[in-house]
Amino acid sequence: MKKIIALTLSLITASAAVSGCGSSGSEEAAEKYGSDTLKVFNWGEYIGEDVISNFEKEYGVTVISELFDSNEMMYTKLQAGDKYDVLVPSDYMIERLMNEEMLLPLDKSLIPNLDNLTEDVIGLDFDPDQTYSVPYFFGTVGIVYNKNNVPSELLEEQGWEILKNTDYKGSVYIYDSERDAFMAALKALGYSMNTEDEDEIEEAYNWLLELNNTMEPTYITDEVIDAMAGGVKDLAVVYSGDAAYILAENEDMGYFTPNEGTNVWCDAMVIPSNSENPLLAHEFINYILTYEASYDNSYTVGYTSTNDEVRADLSSEDGEFYGNEAYTPRSGYELDEVFHDNQVLREKLSSLWIKVKSTES
Amino acid sequence: MTVKNFKFLVYPYIVWAAVMIVIPMLMIAVYAFTVRGNDVMTFKFTLDNFREFFADAIFINVLKRSLIVAVITTAICILLGYPAAYITANIAREKNKLMMVLLITIPTWINMLVRTYAWLGILQDNGLVNTVLKTLGLPALKLIHTDFAVIFGMVYNFIPFMILQIYTSLTKMDKSYVEAAEDLGANRVQCFLRITLPLSLPGVISGITLVFLPAVSSFFIPKLLGGGQYVLIGNVIENQFLTAGNWNFGSALSLIMAVVMIFLMWLAKKADKDPAAERGSI
Repeated sequence: MKKIIALTLSLITASAAVSGCGSSGSEEAAEKYGSDTLKVFNWGEYIGEDVISNFEKEYGVTVISELFDSNEMMYTKLQAGDKYDVLVPSDYMIERLMNEEMLLPLDKSLIPNLDNLTEDVIGLDFDPDQTYSVPYFFGTVGIVYNKNNVPSELLEEQGWEILKNTDYKGSVYIYDSERDAFMAALKALGYSMNTEDEDEIEEAYNWLLELNNTMEPTYITDEVIDAMAGGVKDLAVVYSGDAAYILAENEDMGYFTPNEGTNVWCDAMVIPSNSENPLLAHEFINYILTYEASYDNSYTVGYTSTNDEVRADLSSEDGEFYGNEAYTPRSGYELDEVFHDNQVLREKLSSLWIKVKSTES
Repeated sequence: MTVKNFKFLVYPYIVWAAVMIVIPMLMIAVYAFTVRGNDVMTFKFTLDNFREFFADAIFINVLKRSLIVAVITTAICILLGYPAAYITANIAREKNKLMMVLLITIPTWINMLVRTYAWLGILQDNGLVNTVLKTLGLPALKLIHTDFAVIFGMVYNFIPFMILQIYTSLTKMDKSYVEAAEDLGANRVQCFLRITLPLSLPGVISGITLVFLPAVSSFFIPKLLGGGQYVLIGNVIENQFLTAGNWNFGSALSLIMAVVMIFLMWLAKKADKDPAAERGSI
């Protein structure tokens, strides 16, 4: 559903751009930055309602928004030569773009608001010093569960293995991506989610196969959000940001991050090396880090803000996400890992994953 | 002027077919028989991609499942489509008839993907159908992510092709055969079974072609309405090209599927021959 909305929105923005919104940019801005338009390439439904329009007003520029629904799609468009000024890819994709020298190193003197970043997102090992990227949203992957049907002690005790607990047969959503499925399996087995060890991968494959054959799981992606908010099933593997929304919608739901460790992810803003307006791109990144923009973003989207103050306020007693454990993801936990870019591994997991899904139970 | 003089008109299509059909097919064949990671200049031939398919019961089962789903879809399309076409073809007023044809074709004006997304919203666990049932105090139905949803989605998307094919062959039929049979004392059932049905079979056969082929290879209908666990051969091929990055295995799968489909179409053609022979004897 999200994809269709994203597509429609991007068409609308694209047509709006063509039909001469450009006139709203001022000459002043053009003089200062070299051009008065900024092209932002972001995830669908990933920005606050007024962030773009406020930025346009404040700086007298025009922002052209385009949306993507997967890192790979973003990468393909970038490779095809499409020009953007700001992108918001995930950690492992940033790593890949860095390795392929497709990013511009940031001029930190132009981003004074970097000080607003929460400590939790500083030092993540894909770009520990913010040389190329500025964190936008971050979170973990965990299990959303129905508190009435799944006791939390059982979750503590079984961790990821609860996904294979046959008491919940037919009541499990698994996120349909090889990366997240294998992450859960590898963590359940006590391995690193970035492993390249053939035996460990084989074991994880068998773990998933067993889950597939005994649990009657449903593999879905974004639909999981509405389904869990509607309380359709008892257990679901979900990104913490989506979980925060589910928890806010349905108070029967809880969020749990297994003790065996999980994936810590971070989507961050970067400037591609073919940016036509890097100066304004810096200005935009700096603007996103302000309290107002970060608040609007996090409040609207429900993902955890990288702005320390915003996160504190939103999870405080009068905040929108008070008591919402998915909004304040665990950080600094030893067994949690960031996903690394590994094309060979990803392709291998992908062919194993389709085999798991094709196996009839 | 003879037909010969217009032969040159076919050249643009030949060029089009070569560029858009023949060359891609050849590329698929080359990929299917070569080792992964080859650059263009150094082909290394192999049968491994095919071995991988036949060695693994998983993929054979997926192909089997796809064929079964497609056969069921096609059968339902015939059972629902034939009466619809028959009734439409027998509407007396030309205006009403055209209206009916229009109603059948209207859904195809909207993109298939969008229409399937709409069904996703309708069939979902907390979608339209279940909301209505809930308001009426009835128990919810498990619709989405079932065989029913996938086959329903396919029938819904492909049935216009079946109806139109049968309708065309019915309207082209020479009505005097039926009149002659009636004159000679055949009742309506006999007329239908011995005259109309055999004469409309070519339409049914081409309808089968138009429904069966896309049903076997469809990948977004099972993905949306069947969920991630509903894997058909089209989904495996999509996966090999888009995420697994194994174009060679994906090509081998495509080729295997193409061979299976050509064989089935050849069977259908053969089945078509027999009524033709019968027709001659009428």
